[in-house]
Amino acid sequence: MPYLSSEETVKELKRALSNPNIQSDRLRYRNYILRVIRSMTQGLDVSALFMDMVKASATVDIVQKKLVYLYMCTYASLKPDLALLAINTLRKDCADPNPMVRGLALRNMCNFRMPGMTEYIHQPILMGLKDKASYVRRVAVLGCAKMHSLQPTAEIDAAIVNELYGLLRDPDPVVMVNCLRALEEILRHEGGVVINKPIAHHLLNRLKELDSWAQSEVLTFLLRYKPRSEDELFDILSLLDALLHSSHAPVMAATLRLFLQLAAAHPAVQVDALEQARGPLLATCGSQSREMRFAGLCHVQQVLRSQPAQFGVHFKRFFCGYSEPAYIKFRKMEILVELVNDENVGLVLEELKGYCTDVSPDLAQAAIAAIGRIGRTYSEKCLDILTGLLGLKQEHITSAVMQSFRDLVWLCPQSTAAVCQAVEACEESLQDTEGKQALLWLLGMHGDQISSAPYMLESHIDGLKTEMSSVVKLELLTATVRLFLQRPAEMQDMLGRLLHYCIEEENDMNVRDRALFCYRLLGCGVEETRRVFQGPKSDPCMGVLTGRPQEPVNNWASWFNTLGPLCGDDVALPASCDTAASAQPAQSSQGDVLAGAVEEPLSIPEMGHQPLGLSLGPPLSHEAFERHWLELDVTHREPISFQGPPSSPETLQAALQLVKIQTLAFSRENVTPWKAYLYSHGSGTLILAELLQDGPAEGDGSGSLAVSLKQVPKNDTVIQEFASVLRTVLQTLTEDVS
Amino acid sequence: MIHSLFLINSAGDIFLEKHWKSVVGRSVCDYFFEAQEKAGEPENVPPVISTPHHYLINIFRDRIFFVSVIQTEVPPLFVIEFLHRVAETFQDYFGECSESTIKDNVVIVYELLEEMLDNGFPLATESNILKELIKPPTILRSMVNTITGSSNVGATLPTGQLSTIPWRRAGVKYTNNEAYFDAIEEIDAIIDKSGSTVCAEIQGVIDACVKLTGMPDLTLSFMNPRLLDDVSFHPCVRFKRWESERVLSFIPPDGSFRLMSYHVSAQNLVAIPIYVKQNISFFESGSSGRLDITLGPKQTMGKQVEGLTVTMHMPKVLLSVNLTATQGTHKFDPVTKVLVWDIGKLNPQKLPNLKGSLSVQSGAPKPEENPTLNIDFKIQQLAISGLKVSRLDMYGEKYKPFKGVKYITKAGRFQVRT
Repeated sequence: MPYLSSEETVKELKRALSNPNIQSDRLRYRNYILRVIRSMTQGLDVSALFMDMVKASATVDIVQKKLVYLYMCTYASLKPDLALLAINTLRKDCADPNPMVRGLALRNMCNFRMPGMTEYIHQPILMGLKDKASYVRRVAVLGCAKMHSLQPTAEIDAAIVNELYGLLRDPDPVVMVNCLRALEEILRHEGGVVINKPIAHHLLNRLKELDSWAQSEVLTFLLRYKPRSEDELFDILSLLDALLHSSHAPVMAATLRLFLQLAAAHPAVQVDALEQARGPLLATCGSQSREMRFAGLCHVQQVLRSQPAQFGVHFKRFFCGYSEPAYIKFRKMEILVELVNDENVGLVLEELKGYCTDVSPDLAQAAIAAIGRIGRTYSEKCLDILTGLLGLKQEHITSAVMQSFRDLVWLCPQSTAAVCQAVEACEESLQDTEGKQALLWLLGMHGDQISSAPYMLESHIDGLKTEMSSVVKLELLTATVRLFLQRPAEMQDMLGRLLHYCIEEENDMNVRDRALFCYRLLGCGVEETRRVFQGPKSDPCMGVLTGRPQEPVNNWASWFNTLGPLCGDDVALPASCDTAASAQPAQSSQGDVLAGAVEEPLSIPEMGHQPLGLSLGPPLSHEAFERHWLELDVTHREPISFQGPPSSPETLQAALQLVKIQTLAFSRENVTPWKAYLYSHGSGTLILAELLQDGPAEGDGSGSLAVSLKQVPKNDTVIQEFASVLRTVLQTLTEDVS
Repeated sequence: MIHSLFLINSAGDIFLEKHWKSVVGRSVCDYFFEAQEKAGEPENVPPVISTPHHYLINIFRDRIFFVSVIQTEVPPLFVIEFLHRVAETFQDYFGECSESTIKDNVVIVYELLEEMLDNGFPLATESNILKELIKPPTILRSMVNTITGSSNVGATLPTGQLSTIPWRRAGVKYTNNEAYFDAIEEIDAIIDKSGSTVCAEIQGVIDACVKLTGMPDLTLSFMNPRLLDDVSFHPCVRFKRWESERVLSFIPPDGSFRLMSYHVSAQNLVAIPIYVKQNISFFESGSSGRLDITLGPKQTMGKQVEGLTVTMHMPKVLLSVNLTATQGTHKFDPVTKVLVWDIGKLNPQKLPNLKGSLSVQSGAPKPEENPTLNIDFKIQQLAISGLKVSRLDMYGEKYKPFKGVKYITKAGRFQVRT
């Protein structure tokens, strides 16, 4: 096609369209109209041809009509005065004997987006609502919504609303659904269409006649209906049952959402529905289209929040294929982390290990982060893998491993020794900000266990001039001061140099202020500095250690099958692959020393408040516990009424951590007899405890737990207080459950 | 619901737009382009992008992005499936769904989009109803149209909506009454280095082409229906009868449709039809490596494996290959680093082998990861899951139809790690 500027094209087309010779030849005429449309779709402004196109609409040829209507809809708002000319033709078409023409004309008339249109379309729409062809009624019903959107501020026409509610009984299912859609739009400001009992049951009964799109929409509308009685609720649920297996994923997801919402008060029904939907959900995750797979995965992720165990056996479904796009791989890795259990941990880790050497650095880092998160429960295996990865000497890998190490040490103090050893052996120098921060945090916090820590810090201090990131500098200051407190002799000179540089030459105000702050603080004396800088070495509330507790379904049910879970905008960023749990150490390691300073004095009085100073450390090994347990006699025994074992032993463990009682071991859920072993330190004594539940809980679920306590050396007041703390915790949990 | 649709080619040109409500400016696509740039590869663009005023939901298919603009909260699966339906309809109408065919048929595309959505709500999406509203272009018809000046728009309304069964039009008549079923199974599998299966599943579909007069009521039964898990059906199938008797009972739509789809995921049930012996190694010193791949049949139930192709994405540092194949042709693209070995039929007596040396950029470190083999193949006359149709009965009509079932097994995402 020869290149023509837009003006020339328009001129040429105008000449052709007004040429009587061409007008008389139908085919040639239509071809020119086609060219107009083509230029229009390419973004050319052909609105100048409006007059000629209006003339062309007076024809019997339906295709030509369609084309001209398309043109008119696009430009009507630009040329409102000319568009009025076209209306006459359209109104005439609305009375055509062919229902197709009637529908077409009505639809396009409603699509004219220009002011003052309402008065012309009002009458045809009312006629259309009563038309005998369902095709026209469908168009007319939606026309009501379009008419309303032309004048959003106008009063709602009650007559039309009534008419639409009446048309819900129309024999044509699409008309019925269109009524819902139109009412929803018209009544938006009043909270949308009202679903009362007769309407709800009418919709439910007609669900089968609808196509899958309409089904999915009607199911969404039904979310508004609250059944009056249990019987009604279960009647509805049994009607919906078959739809859970629909071959259309949208219908299945919409049904599941409705199920979960309706059965909000019946957790057992919810669990059952999730069980039934598991197959279809997994099928969506294996769908041909990658977008569907992605959406399926996002939904599985939501279900996992309540039922991590449900998909445990299907873990292989979530292994990444080579050619899958990155957004799917990220989701799959997140899911794998959630799915891990004792049986599959080996295979999952093996698989994730394979991803760590992926060509894309982002993916590799996400895989390493995933291994790090599994490490919170299965530290040993993961530490081996992570340490092995350091051997690859790839910068992005080392950086990600360091970040995982940092989070691990913060959350599972027992892995500290292994991590320190690995960090010491690592010679790779890091370049990226995140990795450097992690390494510096480790050096500062645990420098006493890394013999080469001062040298590693020194190289960073020497390279300070070339360091661009101010966060790294802040972290470096914190780390250096921390290490100085532990190893003053080696660090004094370095700290001096660092402070000198930061105060005299640094341009960044933040860094300079922090350096000045450190300097003044050091002037107040070592003890004062230590109090401010040496925070806890591991997460003081160890809840995260045990993994996410199972959430009730209702927490997320209202988000199911909505856009929210799919567009978490951080999906593509591997760094934020971690949930809020790991954000915590990252925050504290970004080292707001001031925050640390505030945190510490706060926690000291808190300890003081506790009448009995229970503390977690020093940790007790399994062997030591066993030895003590066998040597000692029971000093105290009491039954505590308890509806146990708790819904998940992990919850109990987390709760006990909060009051500084360490759980050493416990049996799995739903095992009888159920046992748990605990220990704690208090007032210079070591307290060991055994919780034992014999036999199944009685019918009403309330059972009792036999608690035996042993102590060395003996101190009666301490043991009494320990028992009362334990009692409070267990009772609180029981209340939570019931 | 769906406000606007933009079609964008992989070069980033918007070549078609359609608005169902008010016009949304093209500038909204800038958010999409931003995401596209960030993603690098076109496949990696996330399907849902949120912008300050809209959501953009897109699918990438046949090298075209279908980007829909959404203004209110919608079920995401719904929109994604709808966009795929649009693409499938184009494919159905024009034989392929590509930028050039869409541009050539721009008028039909607009007509279709107009019928498929009204005011942003799906209207008519079933292919056989659409085809009555808008006739697909064929060479013959376009010639006839040119001569007679008639159009490709049906002058009457589709009758399907008037019958009591929404998926079937009333008064269907054929001279030859026939019902054909294709059972198509795809194996998705990952095989590890040592040849053991990491994961495997079969995704099967039964596509039907039914041309029967009147209102036939069909019953299809299987030899071994317990095999299937995760089944999903066309709305015409009576689910209650499947639950109780494990037979498919249905009044079929007229023409081609997908009767059911299913998964077989229990690993011991998934037979792996071929095995691969491979040895790919790069030498620590010097800039070279060796490659040696042999393929052989494993569990093929005596059927022939055809259309065998091996595709490998080689490491970036690989410069060239010097390989010889005992069968088929091989090609290495030095730009994309993709090695394709097209084998063809697998002969169990003489196993195909590809062998030779690889040369690597000098000085570059040894690649850490060996390439993955993607294998493609086809087996005719076999459903690898062992699924068999035992009989098809017809009630409600007097005549005797022609019946036929065809089985085919294909490789889906079939990978071998090295």
